[in-house]
Amino acid sequence: MDEIVNNSEALCEFLKKMIIDTLKLEGVTVERIDRSAPLFRKGLGLDSIDALELVVAIEKIFDVIIEDEEVGKRAFASISALAGFIQNKYKQRN
Amino acid sequence: MAHNSVGFKDRRVIVTGGTKGLGKAIALAFAREGAWVGVNYSSDDESASRTEVELESVATKSLLLKADVSIGADVQKMISSVLDQWEYVDILVNNAGIIRDKLLMFLDEEDWDRVLEVNLKGTYLCSRAIIKTMIARRFGRIINITSPSALTGRAGQTNYAASKGGIISFTRSLSKEMARLGITVNAVCPGIISTPMIENLDQETKSNLLHMIPMGRFGEPEDVAWAVLFLASEKAGYITGQVLAADGGLT
Repeated sequence: MDEIVNNSEALCEFLKKMIIDTLKLEGVTVERIDRSAPLFRKGLGLDSIDALELVVAIEKIFDVIIEDEEVGKRAFASISALAGFIQNKYKQRN
Repeated sequence: MAHNSVGFKDRRVIVTGGTKGLGKAIALAFAREGAWVGVNYSSDDESASRTEVELESVATKSLLLKADVSIGADVQKMISSVLDQWEYVDILVNNAGIIRDKLLMFLDEEDWDRVLEVNLKGTYLCSRAIIKTMIARRFGRIINITSPSALTGRAGQTNYAASKGGIISFTRSLSKEMARLGITVNAVCPGIISTPMIENLDQETKSNLLHMIPMGRFGEPEDVAWAVLFLASEKAGYITGQVLAADGGLT
């Protein structure tokens, strides 16, 4: 997993796929997700219950815990933000 | 046996307050249906070890879990230890509860706090500690035990009734959070159940209580256990946010 996390490009692609798979988003492709667009409401149209599933998936896959809603809001701002959040957590760990 | 069709083979269950009375009956009922059952208790080691022996004789797998459900760190430790051993949990029954009955005029702050902490905060803490594993598998059943006091009120139980009423509101709200994720959250309301506490009452009180129950008999712990098993079953997957009273018509 370290290899993917260290490569922003690869991590963003991985996260897009993770979101599509975890939330079983029908008709959404990796290409269709803009990495700087908001994930919630207007952007990809996710809501707070979707976020619960993503929090659980991220903890399982990356062993990164999103402790509270405020942190979650910042982390889930966009794909790029989420990638940056995970990279930061990895840096703190090493 | 025909009733095995409910199907709990290898389902992983935690029952808080599961070594005595109603909780024990619920734990044993799950165990007889093939479930793995973890029973939590807080202080009475003696009855816990007796229940452990009984449970081991019927359950595929069982765990004895000592923890005070009103303390976050204890709950977290308990759930982590279950997940370490069993990987996930399918069903949580929040049954742990205490009473400290007094008329409000004499009900001191400690009586109020302790009842709310164990009954209501305990339900919150255990539910919060378990939902991640349920979300990850998109399956879960949370069943909270409430009381007729919550529905109708009872003198001397302002603290207990408030905690159990809180559990109903908690159940309804959490059910809405979890509905899309394959997790149902319901409450079961036992009526007046024949436990040592009821058996020890004087004849007059007993007969007064009996007159209140349209079915004319006290409930057996198993009557309530079946309601819990029903809501925990896969087939009850479209039922959430409900209060199911198993009370002989009392409420």
